[in-house]
Amino acid sequence: MDFDIIFGNAARAAFGPEAVILALAAIGLNVHFGFTGLLNFGQVGFLLLGAYGTSVSVATFGWSLWVGILVGLVLSVALAVALGFPTLRLHAVMFAIVTIAAAEIIRILIGSTDAIGLTGGPLSVSFDAGAFYDLNPYPDGPHDRYGVGTFEFTGQQMWVITVGWVLVALVSLVVFLIVRSPWGRVLKSIREDEDAARSLGKNVFSYKMQALIIGGVIGGMGGVVDAIKTSGADPNGFRPQVTFFAYTALLLGGAATYLGPVLGAILFWFLREWIESFLRQLTAEAWLPDAVADFLSGSEGVISVAMVGLTLVLLMLFRPQGITGNRIEMQLDAR
Amino acid sequence: MPDDVMPRPESASADTAIEPILTVPPVAGVPKPHPILVVDELTRSFGGLRAVDVDHLEVERGVVTALIGPNGAGKTTLFNLLTGFDRADTGRWSFDGQPVSSPSPDQLARKGMIRTFQLTKSLAKLTVLDNVLLGAPSQVGERLSAAPFRSRWQNQEEANIELAEELLDRFNLAHMRDELAGTLSGGQRKLLEVARALMADPVMIMLDEPMAGVNPALAQSLMHHITQLAFEGLTVVFIEHAMDVVTGISDWVVVLAQGRIIAEGPPWKVIHDDEVIDAYLGRRRAGG
Ligand SMILES: Nc1ncnc2c1ncn2[C@@H]1O[C@H](COP(=O)(O)OP(=O)(O)OP(=O)(O)O)[C@@H](O)[C@H]1O
Ligand SMILES: [Mg+2]
Repeated sequence: MDFDIIFGNAARAAFGPEAVILALAAIGLNVHFGFTGLLNFGQVGFLLLGAYGTSVSVATFGWSLWVGILVGLVLSVALAVALGFPTLRLHAVMFAIVTIAAAEIIRILIGSTDAIGLTGGPLSVSFDAGAFYDLNPYPDGPHDRYGVGTFEFTGQQMWVITVGWVLVALVSLVVFLIVRSPWGRVLKSIREDEDAARSLGKNVFSYKMQALIIGGVIGGMGGVVDAIKTSGADPNGFRPQVTFFAYTALLLGGAATYLGPVLGAILFWFLREWIESFLRQLTAEAWLPDAVADFLSGSEGVISVAMVGLTLVLLMLFRPQGITGNRIEMQLDAR
Repeated sequence: MPDDVMPRPESASADTAIEPILTVPPVAGVPKPHPILVVDELTRSFGGLRAVDVDHLEVERGVVTALIGPNGAGKTTLFNLLTGFDRADTGRWSFDGQPVSSPSPDQLARKGMIRTFQLTKSLAKLTVLDNVLLGAPSQVGERLSAAPFRSRWQNQEEANIELAEELLDRFNLAHMRDELAGTLSGGQRKLLEVARALMADPVMIMLDEPMAGVNPALAQSLMHHITQLAFEGLTVVFIEHAMDVVTGISDWVVVLAQGRIIAEGPPWKVIHDDEVIDAYLGRRRAGG
C-alpha cells in the first residue's frame, strides 16, 4: 500500500482539468439553484453544447478554435433561452423535468448515427486544439514535470489547469459581484417566494431568464474546457450523472455561497480519486481474500462514486449547509 | 417620515381631502368624486362557488377604505383579482385613470398598486433589512448591466437603507435589522410585510389583515401612521375583522358578503346597517 501514490493521484484529480470542469458546472448550477431556486437537472446540456460547439466548429467546419469557443458559448445561451421561454412560467417541477429531458434529447441526437457527418455521432469528434497549446508558456519537453513528488503535471496539463483555474476565479468573481448587488437580492427573493417578488414589482420571468442564461453559459465554459482538454468531445461524456456530480459538488461545498461550488468540486475529485486509488491498491494486496479482491477489481471507479454519494448523505445528516454554508439558514427550512 | 401632516404632493389635487367622501350617499356601488380604482362586473367562481361578484365599486383616492365581511366573503379573492394574482372570469377595472387590460402583478405593482398578503410572505433567508430594501422601487442596481459596478448603485442603496431603517424603527423591528426574516415571529412578519410595502412607495396600498396577530397598542399606532400617509395622498384599502380598528381609522367602509358588495358608507353608518349585521351573524336575506 503506497499512500504517497494514492495521495498524489487524489491531489492531481483535485486540481486537474476535471475539477475545473466540475467547478464551472457547479458555479453555473449555483446561480440557477443556489441563488435563484431554479431546479435545473440538465446542466450537462450546457456543457455538451459548449464542448460540441467548440469541437464541431473546428473539426467539421474548419473554423478557428476561438470562433469555436464563441459558438459553444452562444449555443449555451440559445439552450437557456429555448428552455426558459416555455417553462419558466410553469411550476418548478415542470422546469426540472424539461431540463433533464432536453439535455438527454440533445445528447441522443448528437450521438445518433444520422449525425455522423456533423458531430461524429457515436464515434465522437476530435480536433486540433493547437491554437490553444501554442500559447503554452510552460516548457513541455518529454521530461518536464511540475509539482512535488507524485503530485505533478506535464507542461500541457499545467497550461490547461492554469487557464482553467484563472477562469474559475474570474467567473467566481463576476458571480460574487452580481449576486451581492440589488440584482442578486431579487434573485434570492425569487428563490424564497416568487409572489412576494412580484408583489413588489419585480419581473420574475425576466430575472429567472437572466439567471438561467448566466448559469448556462458558465456551464458552457466547462464544456469548452472539456473540449480543449480532450481535443474533442464524446456523447458518452455528457450523461445525466454529470449534472448530479455537479449537484454533489455544490451541496458538498455549500449552495448559495461564493466559494462552495469550487471547494466542492475540488473535494469531490479528491475523494473520488483517493478512494479509487486506495481500492486499486487494496485489490493488489496479498492478504486480501480472493473473493473480496475479485469483487473489488474492475469496480473501483463505481465503488468510489458510491462512496462519494455516501459522503454526501453523511454530510446532509451532519452538516446540511455544506462546508461553507450557513447553519442558521439551513435550520430555517425546518420551520 | 415625519408624523405631522406634510404638504400634499402635486399629483393629488387639493380637493381630495376627506370631506368630499362625506358627501357621498352610503349606497352599495355608489360613484365617488375622485376614484382611483373603478371596478365593473367583476366575477370569479371556484367550481360552483361564486367567490367574487362585484357589479360596481369605486375606491376614493387619498382616503382610507376598509373592506370588511365575514370569513369566506371573498375579500382576499377580490384583492387577488385586482392585483393580478388571480384571473377574473369576467370584468374590467381601471387604476389611476388607466384601464387594466392584462393584469400582471409586477406591472401593477410598478404602477403603484402594492398589496400585502393575508398569509405573510417574508423572504426567510434574506435579512429583515434586505426584505425591506427589496421593496424600494426603480433600483439601478437591479439591472444586470449596473449590478457588478457598486459605484453605480451605492448612493441609491444608501438612501434606501436610510429609509428602510426609519421604517424598521417605526415598526419596532430595528433590533432585528440583520436577522434572517425566517427567525421572526408571526406578528413581526406581518409588520415586516407592511414596512416592505410602504418602502415600495405605493400610490394605493392594499393590506390584507395587516395587523392580525400584532399587539393592539402597536397596531393602533401603526394604523394611525398609515392614515397619516393617507393625508399625504396615499390611498389605503385594508381588510380587517376588528371593528374597533375599522371604526377607528377608516373614512369609508365597503362590506362584502358572499362575493357581493352589500353595503358601503362611513363606518358609523355601516356598522349599524341591518343587512351588514345579518351577514355577520350568518343569516341570509331573501333576494340578497
Ligand atoms: N383557490 C381557491 N380555490 C377554491 N376556492 C377558493 C380559492 N380561494 C378562495 N376560495 C373560496 O372563495 C371564498 C372566498 O375566499 P376568500 O379567501 O376571498 O375569503 P375572505 O373574505 O378573504 O375570508 P377571510 O376573512 O377568512 O380571510 C371562500 O369560500 C373560499 O373557500
Ligand atoms: Mg382573506
